Amino acid sequence: MINFEEELKKFHPSTEVEEIQDCIYNHNATDIAGVFEQMFAHKEEMQQMQQMQMQAEQEMMGG
Amino acid sequence: MVCYRCGCQLSEQDFCTSCGADVSLYKKILGLSNYYYNEGLGKAKVRDLTGAIDSLEQSLEFNSRNVEARNLLGLVYYEIGECTEAMSEWILSMNVEPKKNIASDYIQRIQNNPSRYDVIRQTMKKYNQALAYCEQGSKDLAIIQLKKVLSLSPRFVKAHLLLALLYMDNEDWEKARRELNKTLGIDKSNTQALLYLQEVDKMLAPDEIEKNDRKHKKEETVRYQSDNEVIIQPSNLADGTRSGFSTVLNIIIGLVIGAAAMYFLVLPANKREAQNEAQERVESIAGQLDSKTNQIQQLENQVATLEKAKEQLELDLDAYEGTEGKLREMDQLFVAASVYLSTKDVGQTAELLDSVRENVRIEDASEEFQGLYNALLALIGPELAKTYHEAGYVSFRNEDFPAAIENFLRAVYYDPNNAEALLDLGNAYRRNGDAVNAVTIYNRVIELFPDTDLARKAGQWLHDYNEGDTE
Repeated sequence: MINFEEELKKFHPSTEVEEIQDCIYNHNATDIAGVFEQMFAHKEEMQQMQQMQMQAEQEMMGG
Repeated sequence: MVCYRCGCQLSEQDFCTSCGADVSLYKKILGLSNYYYNEGLGKAKVRDLTGAIDSLEQSLEFNSRNVEARNLLGLVYYEIGECTEAMSEWILSMNVEPKKNIASDYIQRIQNNPSRYDVIRQTMKKYNQALAYCEQGSKDLAIIQLKKVLSLSPRFVKAHLLLALLYMDNEDWEKARRELNKTLGIDKSNTQALLYLQEVDKMLAPDEIEKNDRKHKKEETVRYQSDNEVIIQPSNLADGTRSGFSTVLNIIIGLVIGAAAMYFLVLPANKREAQNEAQERVESIAGQLDSKTNQIQQLENQVATLEKAKEQLELDLDAYEGTEGKLREMDQLFVAASVYLSTKDVGQTAELLDSVRENVRIEDASEEFQGLYNALLALIGPELAKTYHEAGYVSFRNEDFPAAIENFLRAVYYDPNNAEALLDLGNAYRRNGDAVNAVTIYNRVIELFPDTDLARKAGQWLHDYNEGDTE
């Protein structure tokens, strides 16, 4: 047996025309491709930092 | 497909030919996005719009810049009446790909049609209002509001579903089923609609079970054993040997029943109808007759009244014009006045006035008539009274008392101030043996002319009369 009150909770107010702008601004555009790109960018940053750290260590050893 | 690192076009290789970046995983992610887009497109084509929305959202989860998927998602939203959601998707799509994007065409179509734009705005407002009514418990108002919403946007799936839910809550199952069927006509795999429909079917099931039972009974079969075989024969199958005879028999029975029904039901009904019609006609004619009779009676009364009036008028006319009419009396009075003025003949004037008095009651005559009559009487009265007094006196001396009484009466009439004539009248009555009138006249003399010799004489006569009476 369907419970009216419970079912009613599944219905949400529709976005009104005046609220479209807010809806677009608040839209979460995060996707897996974006996550992948962020991961790759982070990985590159880490690699660059490691290289810089290694160079600094070598310079210190040479000095 | 472009490289996420340098933006160059990727080849079939798993690395970028320009920057050498490993793009194998990236390609798989974009491939999955495209896969879900294709799945969504396939579902949309067969009107599985809920499924299409799921697939397209999945596609955008993998690649939010998949313009095709976003545009299609907007189109599906538009189809189920979620116009604001659709516009949001198309605007986002335009941000990703501002040029050569069909989303701009969709947006322009809506924005260039102000009435359509207004309908969308009204639809959303009213739907939200209906939802608020539901939450407040005003279900009737919510139903009315949702009907308005659906008249504006008949393809608004959420409104159909909410209306169906309200009908279900009211146990109006048929209406709920209608709304759900409309929903499934738009979105054939809407899970919410299917769930509700299952519930509705369950509630309406007892009727269907009965129908099925009836159907089943009709199709019942007759089973019997023949040797080692079970023969199954439908019960409604006619017996070939008996079919001809039974058909004829049934026809005859049908005809008899029909004739009986005709005789017992139809004919009496027709007869009763004809009687009723005749009765109505008779009543109508009787009504007309009554009204005519009333009219005749009224006209007869009018005729009688008019005839009375006519007779009265004729009488009045005769009175004025006849030989004894008022006009004649008027003429006589004028003649009397004319005679007196021209000849001063008191005797002739008196005769004419006497003639007038005999024919007319002076008290009932008009004021003008009375005025002229009295004026003439005042002019001739004293002289005439004197004449009658003298004539009366002569008759009295000759002991002709009746003639004397007549003359004295006239003298008193023409001159009421003639005291001697009045006393002589009393004497004439006394000598004539009429004591009652004599006493009356003597009393009038004493009353009208007190302290005169005539009054004393009258008193003396009364005294003598009273003494003689006592003696």
